[in-house]
This record gives sequence, C-alpha cells and structure tokens, in this order.
Amino acid sequence: MDHTGSSRVLLWAFCLSVLLFLLAPILVIIIASFNDSQFLQFPPQSWSLRWYNRFFDSPHWYEPALLSLRIALVTMGISTALGTLAAIGLVRGEFRGKRITELFMISPLFVPVIVVAIGLYFQFAGIQLIGKPVALYLAHALLATPVVIVIIGAALRSSDASLELAARSLGASWIRTARFVTLPIIRPALISAAGFAFLISFDEVVLAIFLGGPNATTLPKRMWESMRFEIDPTLTAISSLLILVAVTVLVAVALLRRAVERARGQRTLQSPPG
Amino acid sequence: MDGKGVAGSPAVGAVNRGSSRTYWSSREALLVLPALGFYFLLYLYPLSRLLVWSLFDPELTAKNYQQLITDAVYFKALRNTLEISVLVTIGCLTLGYPLAYLAVTVRPRIRVVLLTIVLVPFWTSVLVRSFGWLVILGTNGLVNRTLIAIGVISSPLKLLYNLVGVEIGMIHVLLPFMIFPLYSVMVRIDTDLVRVARSLGASPWRAMLHVFMPLSLPGVAAGAAMVFLMAVGFYVTPALLGGPQQLTLATLIDMVVNDLLHWGFGATLGVLLVTVVGTIFLVFSTILGLDRLVATRTR
Repeated sequence: MDHTGSSRVLLWAFCLSVLLFLLAPILVIIIASFNDSQFLQFPPQSWSLRWYNRFFDSPHWYEPALLSLRIALVTMGISTALGTLAAIGLVRGEFRGKRITELFMISPLFVPVIVVAIGLYFQFAGIQLIGKPVALYLAHALLATPVVIVIIGAALRSSDASLELAARSLGASWIRTARFVTLPIIRPALISAAGFAFLISFDEVVLAIFLGGPNATTLPKRMWESMRFEIDPTLTAISSLLILVAVTVLVAVALLRRAVERARGQRTLQSPPG
Repeated sequence: MDGKGVAGSPAVGAVNRGSSRTYWSSREALLVLPALGFYFLLYLYPLSRLLVWSLFDPELTAKNYQQLITDAVYFKALRNTLEISVLVTIGCLTLGYPLAYLAVTVRPRIRVVLLTIVLVPFWTSVLVRSFGWLVILGTNGLVNRTLIAIGVISSPLKLLYNLVGVEIGMIHVLLPFMIFPLYSVMVRIDTDLVRVARSLGASPWRAMLHVFMPLSLPGVAAGAAMVFLMAVGFYVTPALLGGPQQLTLATLIDMVVNDLLHWGFGATLGVLLVTVVGTIFLVFSTILGLDRLVATRTR
C-alpha cells in the first residue's frame, strides 16, 4: 500500500513516539535503579549498585521474593496439569454444553480480579485460610488455568486429530495415545503455557493483597505496600529484576520451543519404549 | 469400556457423524472434570456467595442495591469508572491503530521488532509499569524536570494522583490489548482491494478511509471491547496513580471491604461489576464470536 512520502514519515514519527511511550517506564526504572542517590531523581547524578545490594541483603525483600518463587512454581504445576487436561477434554471430547463449559472455564480471564479476590477472601476467611500460602497456591492456579486452557486448546485445534485416531485404531490404549502422541504434539504449547502461568503468578498483586498476611507476603504485595506508603528506592532495583525475570522466561520459552520443534522434525518414526 | 481398545470399535457413547473428532467422546470429556471441580469450589461457589450476600441481609432484600443507586459516593464511583474506561479506550485506539497499521505494512523483519517492543511491556507486571509512571510523572520526575530545565514551565505540573496519571498509566497497560486484536484483523485484510481502489482513481487517503478502515472495524470492535472490559475492572493503576477523585468501582470495593468492613455491600459492588463486565462480554462475544476474542489472546 503506497502513501505519499510525507504521510509515511508522519506515520513513522507517530508510531515511534508510541513505541517510546510503551518502553518509557521500563527504561526509566532500569536506569533509575543504578542511581546512587537516596532520592528518586532522574536522571541519576551518580551511579552505583547499592539498591541491588539492598535487595539481596534485606530479608524484608528477599524473603517475599522466595515465597513468590515457591508459589509461582506450585501454581505453574497445578494450572498446567488442570488446564492441559481440561483443554484436551474440551477440544477432543464431545459432550452437551461443551461450548458453555469452555466459556465458563475461560471466563476468569475477563472477570475483574478484585471480585474474585473478595469472593475468595470471604470464602477463605471462614475456613481460616487467609494469610497462609495455600490460599495463594489455589487462587493463583485459578487465575493461570484459563491461560493454559487457551494456549493448549489452540495447539490442539491446530494439530491433526487423525494422528491420535490412527494410534487408537492401531490398538493403542487411551493412555498410551495421550503419552506418546498427544503430549509430544502439544509439547511446545506446554512450555509456553507453563512459562506464562509462572509469570502470571509471580507478578500477581491483587489476590496477594487480599489473601496474604504477615506470613504470606509475596514480593508484589511488599512492593505494593512500599509504593503506597513510603517509596523505597530499592523498588527500582527490584522492578528491574522483575523485568529481567519476565524477559528471561520469555526468552527461555522461545528457545525451548525452538529446540523441541527442531528435535521433533529430526526424529524418525520410532516405536515408543516398552 | 475396555481400556485396551479394540481396533476400530467406537468408544461407548460415541456419535458416529463421520468426523474424526467425534469418534471418541465421553472419555475425553471426563478430563475436564478435575479443572471443573476446581473452578466450582474456588470460583463459582465464592461468586454465587457474593450474589447471595448482596440479596440477603439476612432476609431477601433489595436494600444493598437501593443504596447503590441512592448514595452519591457510590454513584460517583460508577460514573468515574465508566468515564475513565471510555477515555482509556479512545486513547488506546488513537495510539494503537496507527501502530497496528504500520506493523502490517512493513517488512517482516521490522514487524517482528515492532511486535516484540509491544510484547515486552505486555508481559511486564502491572505493578512495575505503574511504578515506572510514578517515577516519570512525579514532581521531581523525568517529565517535570525536563520541562522545567528547558523553560516551558516554572513549577512542576501535577501529573500524579489525578485523572492524568490514571489515564496515562492505564493506556500504557492496556495498549497491547488493543494492538494485538487490531493487528490480527488487519493482517488478514486483502491489500489487493486497496490497490484496486487506487487503480480506479482513489487517492491513498480515500482508499484508506473507504476500503481499509471499514474492513478493520471487527478488529477495532474486538480491541475496544477488550480494553474497555479490562479498564472497568482495573484496581492497581487507579489505586496507585489516582487521587481521591478517581475512585473507581474496584478501589471502592477495596475500601468498603477492607476499611469499612461492609462485606455485604462489598459483595453487592462486586456483583455489579461482574454484571457490567459480563454483559459487555456476552454482547461482544455473540456479535463477534468468542473465538475471535480468545484467539487474539493466544498470540
């Protein structure tokens, strides 16, 4: 589609500013994290790693980080397992009300988190689950499972169901088919889904605020408290580390997927062991 | 139901309609049960409880809902929420449409770079991004210091804890949700149609306005619906970057439940919020088809 040169330049200029807008907070935080000063000034006059040291030296910060890591790993496990099973059931299975069920299972993506938060808050308060990490294992899993279902569902829909049919008609049982035909097909999607489930839980803040407590404070919750009441410059370092985590997970997912897909292409047809 | 499966025999209850997908049926369907049970316990049940609490006090009463309409504070929160969300949607559309269009019309190499730049903030936590704006928009932040340094203003602008801060923060967070649906629709538009219009004598702008834009409308609708839906329910950004005048339904719920301890009324607000969001979602998913909305998220 051709436009006159000047309108093209205008378009590019506008879009570059939008892109700058998108990157601005991230870039500013990363730069500000190396600021030596106590005050949140920008641009920094002197540079140091003191805020990074602060993070690694204070239990106030690294303990919530470790808790967040633990919760994210558990959430990743639960939601990937539940979500994958559900996706297989929704895409390959047939039952009445399948459409509604699928809509229902994806709906947590669209229901405002705050409503889920108060619902769970009232529920868990009754059984004394507030302030315990278990509450967050469950709540985060609820938030991450729909994402897993969408990702794995898409992979299943775009793959060839007749491969599984062929395996079944050749005598493979239901479980063997799942293990040696279905699972390898969706392995790249599984990697993506697991990675995103991890990130969703690790960064999650609203449920952490409502369901957490002194013994169950995640990193986002602690950061939130600092941002609201007294801004601690360590926040810039922590935020930069969080950005790093997100980028790492994204890159890792992309690389793993590439490796899996390459291995699949090179593998010759071999019968499964046993 | 024989676990070993004899070759060629249909699973129990299978409907033989000739497509491979319905060959096996109820067995795969069972796989949905664990997740479904999980959802019932942790999602459906707590939410229905909210509905029950909003209606019973302890007898059946409309008291909570009456209070919703009559009390000025709560009504203001609803108005604020809608105002903010509409502004955010317009902002995202204005910023996102040209960018999506550009992404469609450039070489694949550059396209990947553009879309990656959109993806990185998308996967960065809302908290981190909102905090970034806290640093940029503060009285001693980047914007104010730059403007003062070059002499445009003499005292810092108040860009935080007001509508400006909230809008900037929310547009930033929701922009990728506008760009991806737009892009996925635009990429499927047949550019030959635009070329035909040009060859028939239309100027580039006319071709754009009368051929390309109407064809991109489904993307606009999907993106706008998604952004609006999410904006209405937002908590983090308005709470962090807004002032007392930017009370939204979400921040109000937080206040009512945690500070005022009015659990019943908090439940009512929650029900209201879900109803608003759910209605918009249902309307759009029937018009556009759920697959469109969902498919665009799996990018």
